Amino acid sequence: MGMLKDSLTIFDREMLIFKSNLRTNIVRSLMFPLIIIIFFGNIGSSVSGVPIAVANYANNPQSTQLINSLESGSTLSIVAQTDQATGLDLLRQGTVSALVVILPSFPKEQQGSPSVYVYYATSQFAESGVAIPTIENAVQKYNNGISNIQITSDVNAVSTQGTNSSYRDFLIAGVILMSVAFGAVFGGGMSIIIDRQLGNIKSFLITPINKNAIILGKLFSGTVQSTLYGILALGLGILLGGSISMGISGLVWIIPLILFVAMAFSGIAIMLGSRIKTIEVYTIVAQSIVMPAWFLSGAFYPASSFPPLLQPFSVFDPLTYATEGIRDVMLNGFFPFGHIVTDFSAVIIFALLGIFISFKLFKNTIA
Amino acid sequence: MNSSNSYSVVIKKLSKKFGDFEAVKDINFEIKHGEIFGILGPNGAGKTTTLNMILGLLKPTGGSILIEGNDNVEESEKVKQIIGFMTQETVVDSYLTARDNLRIFARLYHIPESQVEQKVNHALEEANLLSFADVAAGTFSGGMQRRLNLVKSMIQEPKILILDEPTTGLDVQSRVSMWNEIKRLNHEGMTIILTTQYLEEADSLCDRIAIIDHGTVKAIGTAQELKRMVSKGNILGINASEKDEEKVLKLLKSKFGIALVHNNNRLEATIDSDMLGNMAKIAQALDREGINVEAISMHLPTMDDVFIKLTGSSFRDKAGEQQSSMNKVSKYGR
Repeated sequence: MGMLKDSLTIFDREMLIFKSNLRTNIVRSLMFPLIIIIFFGNIGSSVSGVPIAVANYANNPQSTQLINSLESGSTLSIVAQTDQATGLDLLRQGTVSALVVILPSFPKEQQGSPSVYVYYATSQFAESGVAIPTIENAVQKYNNGISNIQITSDVNAVSTQGTNSSYRDFLIAGVILMSVAFGAVFGGGMSIIIDRQLGNIKSFLITPINKNAIILGKLFSGTVQSTLYGILALGLGILLGGSISMGISGLVWIIPLILFVAMAFSGIAIMLGSRIKTIEVYTIVAQSIVMPAWFLSGAFYPASSFPPLLQPFSVFDPLTYATEGIRDVMLNGFFPFGHIVTDFSAVIIFALLGIFISFKLFKNTIA
Repeated sequence: MNSSNSYSVVIKKLSKKFGDFEAVKDINFEIKHGEIFGILGPNGAGKTTTLNMILGLLKPTGGSILIEGNDNVEESEKVKQIIGFMTQETVVDSYLTARDNLRIFARLYHIPESQVEQKVNHALEEANLLSFADVAAGTFSGGMQRRLNLVKSMIQEPKILILDEPTTGLDVQSRVSMWNEIKRLNHEGMTIILTTQYLEEADSLCDRIAIIDHGTVKAIGTAQELKRMVSKGNILGINASEKDEEKVLKLLKSKFGIALVHNNNRLEATIDSDMLGNMAKIAQALDREGINVEAISMHLPTMDDVFIKLTGSSFRDKAGEQQSSMNKVSKYGR
């Protein structure tokens, strides 16, 4: 009880400092997401003439109509009408970015299974990000109540993330988590180093409070601040044209995911800050932890398209699960129960680990 | 009456090891109620380590520290309420207002919510900062920040105030006002422990002084006692040009029986105080022999002389050694 009260005093002090620099803190936290979303988020927005192949097994008027409608816009260009095997070969060679297979049953579904299959190359994410929504729109005109289209990425059967909307929406999840992770390591951990250099840590330690109260207070404030950065990045993403497919209720999932990641990185930052004497060295160490964790999470392109060498790292990267969770909510508009379990397990374990090491490996350095 | 109760601080057989390095070796001393106690000695000599142990920042390897009768390891929370501490560097949160700075520390010292505002206002008044209470401390002048720092260190109304080099780096005016502040607090009954680099400051301000070097207490006592320890008489010093030095040595040896030695770039000898009247005679004799000296002086031993005698080198020469010992400490201990 006493310790909790003391940690709240430390928390209040941290938040007062944060508030006194509010504008700078917010501008700094928004700068990087803004640049990334504007520069990278618009990749593919003006793509036209994406080469696709069509394998038409239906050969009925509706299927011909569908093929015509695919080419009606300038977005797609059908370069080959062939069979499925040849189409997949073309896809793998990179000649086409997607393959549309129309089954004989088209336009009716066969016992509830789709009558159109779309294969896309994950490596061509920018183009497929534009191509697939166009194909979907065309096919869904023949929809009679049940989903009539199945979208499958080629080579690896990965989920359909990032395929039914633009690359920008795909990127926003990664950018949110970047804001959180960077906000945590360059907020809480750095503040410990600065506090030590200015003699504040020493002046806290000569008061009757326990050192754990300092850790807890810093952990609280670091978590709150970086969660706020994450929410700001989400707001910025929406302002720049992103959307949450699940609607406003999606926040119920997104905010806890952000919170746990914030907690984990705040813990890591506090531990590092207590052990590293200079900001220069801290910056190097923190960057070399956060940058790879961020890239490996599939923030920029699907983790499934990483070379096999990097795949295992991606699997053990907690950010992968947070990214996946946010994308389920923002892109797919549906957070499957299995994903909820794995994603939340991963981030909660990560957060507990961060808290544990911050207390366990904290070093009482005063000078 | 328990002997520990007649003293404010009792240090018994205190030692601290960092790995193989013994920073403090079996130190014993007491600090009386209401005195200004000075600790002299370069940082690496164990002064900082001793202070950190008194403050409860470091656990002693051996021995004990009693603060107002409380063991500072076993009753650390109580002891921390008794001790106030101000570091050499000014420590205030520059982004926070003076009031918030004080509020945070009032809460950290577990002052009841209902009394916090009153204590904070009192402290602001003491520091003469009431009209700047809601201004960020970072905008204050150095002197204002220092005053804020001092009242912040005393927000819990300690009985003992520890000041680590309170005047280092201050201009003459601020130094004098700091001295007056220390004297005022002491006058109000506060026991004060301070470390300093300025020997003359220790001389004029402290009731008693401990000189610490290589982890041990070399001497302890009032400034007068320490000076008497060095010499019962006066110190005669003559500055002469190199070619004349030989003549001066010979003359004083033969005529007055004084054996001068080279020290501090001049010739020095300790002489009985009753020879004070001889100063004029020495000057006359030198004049008669046609020896021109640059300066001739006779003075009581200073704290500097005490320091030289006890540690084998002058205070300033210690700077380099201090650095190397500091490195040792940080390598082992921190």
